[in-house]
Amino acid sequence: MPTWLINLLGSIYSKLPVAIRPPLKRLFMWGLIRIQGLSSGRRVQHGKHVEFLDFEIAHLEPYEFLSPAPNEVQVRVARTTVSPGTERAVLCGLPGARRPFPYVPGYSAAGEVVAVGKNVKGIAVGDQVAGRVHHSSDETVPAALLFRVPPGVAPESASFIELGIITLQGIRKAKISAGDRVAVVGQGLIGQLANRLVRAVGASSVIAVAPSRRRAKTALAGAGADEFISLEKGNQVLDDIQADVVIEAVGTPDAVTTAMQCARDGGKVVLLGSSRGLSRDVDIWSTTQQRNLTIIGAHISAIPERDASLTRWSYRQEGKLFLDLLHAGRLQVADLITWHAAPNECNAVFEVLAKGGADQVAISFNWQAAR
Amino acid sequence: MEPLRIGIAGAGAIAQRNAREAATSGAAKIVGVFDVNQKVARDMASALKAPFFSTYEDLLRSQEVEAVLLSTPHHLHRPQTVQAANAGKHVLVEKPMANNLEEAEEMIRACRENGVKLTVNYSFRYLPKIRKAKELIDAGLLGTITGIQIISHQFKDPGYWTGARSNSPDNWRASREKCGGGYLIMNVCHIIDYIYFLTGLKASRIYSEYGTLGSPAEVEDIISISYRLDNGAIGSISASSIMRGTEQSEERIWGTNGSLILNGEGISFYSTRPIDGKRPGQLYTLKKFPEFSWTAEWVRQFAAAVRKADGQPEVSSREGWENLAFIRSAYASLERGAPLEIPKFETVR
Repeated sequence: MPTWLINLLGSIYSKLPVAIRPPLKRLFMWGLIRIQGLSSGRRVQHGKHVEFLDFEIAHLEPYEFLSPAPNEVQVRVARTTVSPGTERAVLCGLPGARRPFPYVPGYSAAGEVVAVGKNVKGIAVGDQVAGRVHHSSDETVPAALLFRVPPGVAPESASFIELGIITLQGIRKAKISAGDRVAVVGQGLIGQLANRLVRAVGASSVIAVAPSRRRAKTALAGAGADEFISLEKGNQVLDDIQADVVIEAVGTPDAVTTAMQCARDGGKVVLLGSSRGLSRDVDIWSTTQQRNLTIIGAHISAIPERDASLTRWSYRQEGKLFLDLLHAGRLQVADLITWHAAPNECNAVFEVLAKGGADQVAISFNWQAAR
Repeated sequence: MEPLRIGIAGAGAIAQRNAREAATSGAAKIVGVFDVNQKVARDMASALKAPFFSTYEDLLRSQEVEAVLLSTPHHLHRPQTVQAANAGKHVLVEKPMANNLEEAEEMIRACRENGVKLTVNYSFRYLPKIRKAKELIDAGLLGTITGIQIISHQFKDPGYWTGARSNSPDNWRASREKCGGGYLIMNVCHIIDYIYFLTGLKASRIYSEYGTLGSPAEVEDIISISYRLDNGAIGSISASSIMRGTEQSEERIWGTNGSLILNGEGISFYSTRPIDGKRPGQLYTLKKFPEFSWTAEWVRQFAAAVRKADGQPEVSSREGWENLAFIRSAYASLERGAPLEIPKFETVR
């Protein structure tokens, strides 16, 4: 729609009595999607998805979407994995994460292709795919954002795709060399994935660092960390870690300071967690400059989608690598799932997440079981 | 179940209603009526087709009587309960349980020593509206409760205080000695009971301001109370019997996940959780509730507790005591000019 029309409709809407706005808005959206469908020859489809209705309120809602446009693919979703940091930040209004409500969360999913647009190449009906799809039962998404899942990789593992890419691109920026001693600060889902991926790319020893020992067992399981250090008795233990590379996977300003303390002089600190909030009392001289540390920002938004220079990996390359590691059996992720949730349990899932999600590592929505 | 055979003490307006409801509950049979006002008692006995007794002692001597229902002025609750217990009769006593905690404790001891059961008429918790609110709260509507607000304002006219409006005229309601207090102990006690019942919380610290500002009485007709609950939540009460023409009655309970309002309209609630099959994040109002006699239900469940060897009344004497502990502490705090810790039942010997 042209901007002038949106503005006109907006100004009319804001003069209507509050009570009749929601039904009118529903009616408008109902009509709009049908007009769009008719004008582009696409059919109205029905699904369910999780919506954040307001701060700390999530609910499973029915919704309508259109069958694929020429470059799109319709996916019947099997699994979606909750990205705890980002989704909690929006749900709870953490600094820098304000979004308008209702907001549809989720961006890491796996499922089956049920329809393809006429220009789509390389993906066919019946293919297993993974990629950026909301927490929804069915959705139409651009084909370019999806990856074909290799045979033998279960949807519950493939649905970690976006979290895997986030972690891989961060680790890559650390340029870990054979024999490097790597510390991973924070043992939430991203930290746990980092333990495993850091090892897969050649670190000689991996030290997991967390406030308590609650997640020690998970961190040390499988091909994860070699050592687990908790901060229950204070931060002095960090001085002995002397890591060549530190991966910060918490997402708070305080954790950045903790991460810097884990590094040896001249070491590298990769900021992988989205550190929302402000930090004012950091002594940059003694923590960073005097110690000759290298700080590397590594948010996924800085990664190129497609084309890449020889020295920079693209989104698609990282995604393919993640799935290949799963396919080859060099990486396990399904054991990180602590809650296989039904979609209609989303209220409880996000209530737990809003409170910090203490006892959870990965939460996976099982959309298949709900059909 | 064999109906509980009840003797009635007191034939005032509330007593008549209680007796009628008890009889229609099917769980009880009225087998005697006593009141110092013999004419009223005789009329009530004949209406209920039950024998009339000219003294309370005679009523207690009747072999037919298994339990007494006391709808008498508050200062009589203790002596009448103790007498009944000593005569081996179970006791249903009107609210408040007594005028002070010492009296209530004496009643509890007498019933325990004689092996009889005791309940207090906090039957509002059987109101369909309260039952529904309980169901919603138990389903997680509120999360952790953080606040309670009680507002209750009426206008009690001079006839209320002199007894001119009663069929058994007596001015005991205006007397501090006989009634134990005013609007709080007489009316708000019901609300305190169902708030305790709904939330499962008890108040731990309390402060009040009250006075008699517009009634021909010794007891308070306006009161404001602040209290802390045992989980840390904070509550208030604003109540009076001197608000003319703009009567008001509303309770609000809120917590980390939602809020609930009880008022004349019904129940309104809002929750971040899907409660009662409803979409979260919206305000809902429930206005229709089934017709139901709460007094009959109170009698029915007490009869069931009596018939079962180890049966315990749902409205226990402990709860009657705890309700009174709130009320007495509220009154005492003004006299002391300081907030008071509310005594705990565990300390009663």
